[in-house]
Formats: sequence, structure tokens, C-alpha cells
Amino acid sequence: MRGKLGWLNPGVVIVGVLLGAGATPAVAQGVAEKAEVCAGCHGQDGKPVDKTIPVIWGQQLGYIYIQLRDFKRADRKSGIMQPIVSSLEKDDMLALAEYFSKKPWPDLGQPRSPKDVAERALSADRSVGCTGCHLDQFQGDGTVPRLAGQSREYLTKTIADFRTRARGNNPGMSDLMLATPPDDLAALEEFLSGL
Amino acid sequence: MNRISIVCAALFGAAGLLIGPSIAQEIKQDAKSASGEAKVSPVTQAQLSAADKNATNFLLTNVNYAQTRFHPARQIGRDNVKNLHVAWIFQTDVKESLETSPIVVDGVMFVTTSFSHVYALDAKTGAQLWHYNHKMGPVTTFCCGPNNRGVQVLGDLVYLATLDAKLVALNAKTGDVVWKTDIADPELGYSETMAPTVIKDKVLIGTNGGEYGIRGFVKAYDAKTGKLLWTFNTIPENSVGVWATKDATGRDMHRDIQAEKAQLAKTGDPYQKLGGGVWQNPSVDLATNRIYFVVGNPSPDLDGSNRPGDNLYTDSLVSLDLDTGKYVCHFQYIAHDLWDLDAVSPTVLVDVKGKDGKTIPGVIHAGKTGHIYVHDRKDCSLVRFSEAMVPQENMWVLPTKEGARMLPGANGGVEWSPIATDPSQELAYAINLHQPMTYRVENSPYPNGKLWLGGAFTAIPGEKQSGNITAVNYNTGKIKWQVKTPEPMIGGILATAGGLVFTGEGNGKFAAYNSSNGKELWSFRAGAGVNAPPSTYMVGGKQYVVVGAGGNTQVNFRRGNNIIAFTLD
Repeated sequence: MRGKLGWLNPGVVIVGVLLGAGATPAVAQGVAEKAEVCAGCHGQDGKPVDKTIPVIWGQQLGYIYIQLRDFKRADRKSGIMQPIVSSLEKDDMLALAEYFSKKPWPDLGQPRSPKDVAERALSADRSVGCTGCHLDQFQGDGTVPRLAGQSREYLTKTIADFRTRARGNNPGMSDLMLATPPDDLAALEEFLSGL
Repeated sequence: MNRISIVCAALFGAAGLLIGPSIAQEIKQDAKSASGEAKVSPVTQAQLSAADKNATNFLLTNVNYAQTRFHPARQIGRDNVKNLHVAWIFQTDVKESLETSPIVVDGVMFVTTSFSHVYALDAKTGAQLWHYNHKMGPVTTFCCGPNNRGVQVLGDLVYLATLDAKLVALNAKTGDVVWKTDIADPELGYSETMAPTVIKDKVLIGTNGGEYGIRGFVKAYDAKTGKLLWTFNTIPENSVGVWATKDATGRDMHRDIQAEKAQLAKTGDPYQKLGGGVWQNPSVDLATNRIYFVVGNPSPDLDGSNRPGDNLYTDSLVSLDLDTGKYVCHFQYIAHDLWDLDAVSPTVLVDVKGKDGKTIPGVIHAGKTGHIYVHDRKDCSLVRFSEAMVPQENMWVLPTKEGARMLPGANGGVEWSPIATDPSQELAYAINLHQPMTYRVENSPYPNGKLWLGGAFTAIPGEKQSGNITAVNYNTGKIKWQVKTPEPMIGGILATAGGLVFTGEGNGKFAAYNSSNGKELWSFRAGAGVNAPPSTYMVGGKQYVVVGAGGNTQVNFRRGNNIIAFTLD
């Protein structure tokens, strides 16, 4: 995400700075009000304003909470997210996570993958066992995220970040992504985004 | 996975586009719903202790405290099993991996599903009596599926351990919560999928989490109040052991002992994050008041560089005193495991021939290695191990950055699937997987309760996978018969006094075999993977066989939501 700073909506950065400076205690705000901050990047309608930003509407509650927690702990690095979450307490994070998890998953209009790509993706799944955690139809549960219909560009970026360990808050995922050939990962990204 | 499951996955993927996420794992999320009340008498300890002789009920997860999975019902036998037909099918609200062992008490059946739901059913008709839909906490951290392997009943309470690591006691008549307690913190990687064991006013429970850097345990709770009575940490503060260089079968494990000793001097004993989950029920020796269970893999699974020593008591058989939780003995199968070929399938207590040929109380365990290990119950020592039930190659090659091929794959051999035994034939029946894999190693620090594999084990594309059902004479270690199956086997098996064994496959086949020679005598196609241990019981003078058909997350077999009971006319 750091690489995308130049693109970012300036309003979002300002809000982040304000929250980070503790201008308004996060705990005093209603969850919907707090969630307004997120809409600047993740979208007013759940469709992120940049394709490398993940869909969080309809995402699994536990997963969103853990990511917020990890941003605060700096286990997951992001120059944008860390200031935003710095003033959030656990209850705030859980409330935000619940709020977004109850929103409908947006249709990004990403195309279905062709048959040969789908077959390659499913072959990779069979080898690595993605559905062992992400579950049937890649819907996720608990602290495991939904992948079906996620932004392809985000999947590409975060998988690459897992491989370099730039995304360091799940070394198990890094290990699995490193064990998967790049061509298989490309097929998975295309296949999953089209579900 | 296999050809069929790829097709299924593709089909479900397509359906997902058309129908949307509503067909995902949980079909609906009702609050507790009661269609009636379960008319069930309190279950006494005397009943549970005599479960091995009870042909009417199915009272404990693996039939009896010895966990023989040998049921005395004999109405369904070799001659008439061909006439077995569906008595009823109950559809649960959850279409996801089913691993439940149905418990039956006087015509009332208790089954569970993924995400820790419990149903009480009329065992004769399949009618729902009540449904407990556990309100799951926001954080669940689980390996290998959101499974649940069942409940147990003592008095008028039904005991459930949940995916978010809670122990819950339900009113057996109504499904209402009587008490609930936290077992461990799911944010640190703890979760529960096993059935509790109830014994002498205690509820015993282990934990998952060996893939997340937990410190494993077995805990005992007061059955009436939920108060913690004792905790046995499966990883002792001195986890170093004897620097064993060979496994239980005498094969060299290629350890670099000097490097490990240097690491130990540098970073100390790694016991606090060393894993050691306990996935399945302990067996209970009522005569000696001891329990026997196996402990799973060390964390991280494939990288031993930061965990010097034997990593006690991972990959071990362990015995404790039931009253105090104090250590009695152990035997480690694989010291300093780097392959996740750990110990998962529940232990079984049977009399066995000792090394001198005399009969002794024994305890047996089927390993992911593909061997059945036979121990002396007195001191846990190994008496013998069986012929390998699956192909073994290149053991114990060290995992590499590029990936080293070795068989068995990391699922086994025998996974969590309980075995069955027939002491009259001196046979143990096990279901096995054959999945060629490569083992890769990576290094990363403890990730605060996140997935911590230390590498990856990946199925080799293009290499054929398969499974088998194997009968082993545990007094000789020889394989008596083996039935090959087209897909890896995971779920469980049941033997009956009718001279039969029942087990299912990922392709939906559920079958009965002659327990003496493996001849298939009957089969049924369930439409979803039959990857759960079967149970049997009597009601209204008729014997039934019941099994869950819900597929499997770990091996990705086709999902379903059916509990299917069979009987004769």
C-alpha cells in the first residue's frame, strides 16, 4: 500500500492524520461515523476507489478485526492504515469489523476466468490446499478471509507481498505462496477475482 | 483431492457465481430451535463404564472407554447386510465438512456439524427434537476445517467443545445452555473440534493449535459446574528429551544434534510455543484409572531450526493419572518432527501379545506414518509396529527450500480417523491416505497466533492419490487384508459383532465389508463425501447404522449436510 501513497485521495490522508492525532477519541464516535473514514479508500458503495485496495464490505468479521489489530501492532505494515487504527481500541475494531462484515459484498464486475485458467487454479488449490482454510467456494470464515470476488489487482499485490514477506502478518501464507509457482498464482488471482 | 472433487469444485464455483454467497457453508443461522423435547433418561457412569456390552446404545465417541469401535449389535450381519436400506435422512443447516460421531441414548441421537452446531434427533425417525446453534465468537483460528467431531452425555447434560475454544454443557432434554466456560484464547491459535470425554464427573478436553504456536494441553473440568480441575501441558518445561536420532521403527531422522545443541544454548528451551495439540479423545483404563492419548506435531511444522531437542511430548503416546492429571509414561514416535507426520488417531486399549508372547494389557495407535504401533500399557513402551499400510519412500529426507519428495504425505497414513478393532480376530482396521507430497522449509519468527508452518507440504500435481482399508493383526504386525480405494480415506471405521466393518469414502460411497476378509457386501452412494465415523444402535427392536455425509475440508471432498440412517426391513 505504501507504493500507492502518491495516488491517494488527500481527504483520506487528512482524516487519518486527525484520527492518529487523537483529535476525536475514536471510542466516542458511533461505528457508522468511524466507518466514514474507511469509505474514502474502500468505497462509499463497497467498491474500492483503487483496485489495489481490498473489498471489505461483506468480508469476514474476524478477519477484519485481526487485520486492524495487526495494523495497530505494526505486524502488518501500512503508512495509511497504521495512523488510522492507532487510536482504536479492541472494541472499536470489533465494532468496525462487524459493521463492514454485515454489508453486502459488492460486485466488481470482474470477468469469469476462462476454462484453462480455472483448471490451472483448481490444480494449484489441489496441491496447496487453499480451500482447507478458505473453505468451499473460497468464502472464508472467522479469521480467514473471503477470496471469491476480491479485487484481482489487490490479490496480485498482496500475494506478491506475502512472497517477499513485505506483508509479514501471516508467515504461514508467505510459506504457502512461496511454494506455489508464479504461473499458478496468476491463475488463482484471475480465477478467484471472477467468482 | 481427486478428479471428482475437482469437477465438484468447478461446479460449485460456477454455482457460486449464479447464486451468490448464500449457498456458502451455513445455509441458515437460526437461533436455537426446538421442535420437541428429547425424552432421554440421565446417563449414569455405570452405563458409560459398561458401554462395551451395550448393544442398544452408542454412548461414547468410539463406542467404549477402550475406544475399540467394536459394537456388540449383531442383528445386521454378513448374510443380511445386502438388504440394508435408508431408514431416514436428516438434513442439517450446515453444508460443510461432517466429522461427527453420532451418540445414541435410548432412542435419542446427538449429532454435531461444522461450526459447532448440535442436533438432538429421534433415532427412529430422524425427526429433529432440538437444535443448538452456538453463537460463535468473532475470532476462530482453526486448521483443517471448522469441524466438530461430536458430543458426549453424562447425567442430563450434553457436552460440546466449540470452534472458538469454549466448553459448553447443554440440557439434554431441551438443548439450553447450562454452563459455558472458556478453554483457551482463540486469538492465540486455540480451537476445539474434538468431542469431549466424560468420565467420573469430569469432562476431558484437548486442543487444536499445533499449526499456530500454541502450548498444547489436556484439561479436566468438573462435569456439573465447569470448574477447571487440572491441566496437563503436553509440552513440559524441559522439552529437550534424549536427543533421539532414530524414529520408533529404527530409521535415521538425519538430525544435526550439534547444531541443535548450539541453538539450545543460544535460545533456550522452546516449550512455550512448541505446539503439541491433542486432536482426539483419550482412552480410559477403568482398572488402573489412567488415560492414554496421543500428542500432535511441534510448531512450526516443518522448520526445526528454532526448536532444538526432541520437542517432548509432541508426536507421542502419553499416559496420565485420571484423578490428578499427573504424568505416568510416554513414548515418542518421531523426535523433532519436521514432516507433520504426527500422532492424531485415537488410542485403543486391547489385550495384546507382549514380546515374550504372553498376553498383556496393550494400547495401540495408528500413525500418519502408516504403521500401527502396539504398546505395553504399563509403561508405554513399544512392543511392535505393523507392516506399513501405505507406500513409504525417502524417509526421513530433510525438507528443503526447493521441496523434497517423501511418502507418506503430511496427511498420512492414518489421519485423525479413528480405527476399529475386533479382539476376537486380533485385528485392527484402519483407513489410510496415499498422497505423494513435497516438503519445503522456510524460516520465520513466532507470528502471534497466526498460521506457522515453517514451510509447506504440497501434493505433487499429476501423481495419483489413493486410499485403502487395512486389517492388521496387532499380535503379529502383519496385514491380513487390504481393500484399495480410488481416493484417500479420511473419516473413521466401525466394526460390529455382526462380523462387519463399515466405512465411507470421499466420493460418497459408504460400504460394509466382511471383517475377516475385506469382501465388500453392501454399498450406498451418498452424493457427498462420507468422511465421518459411523455409529450403530438399536431402537424398536431394530438395528440401525448411521453416518454423516458432509464431505471434508482438509482433503476437499464434496460437501453435503446429510445424516443418513440405514436399517433392515
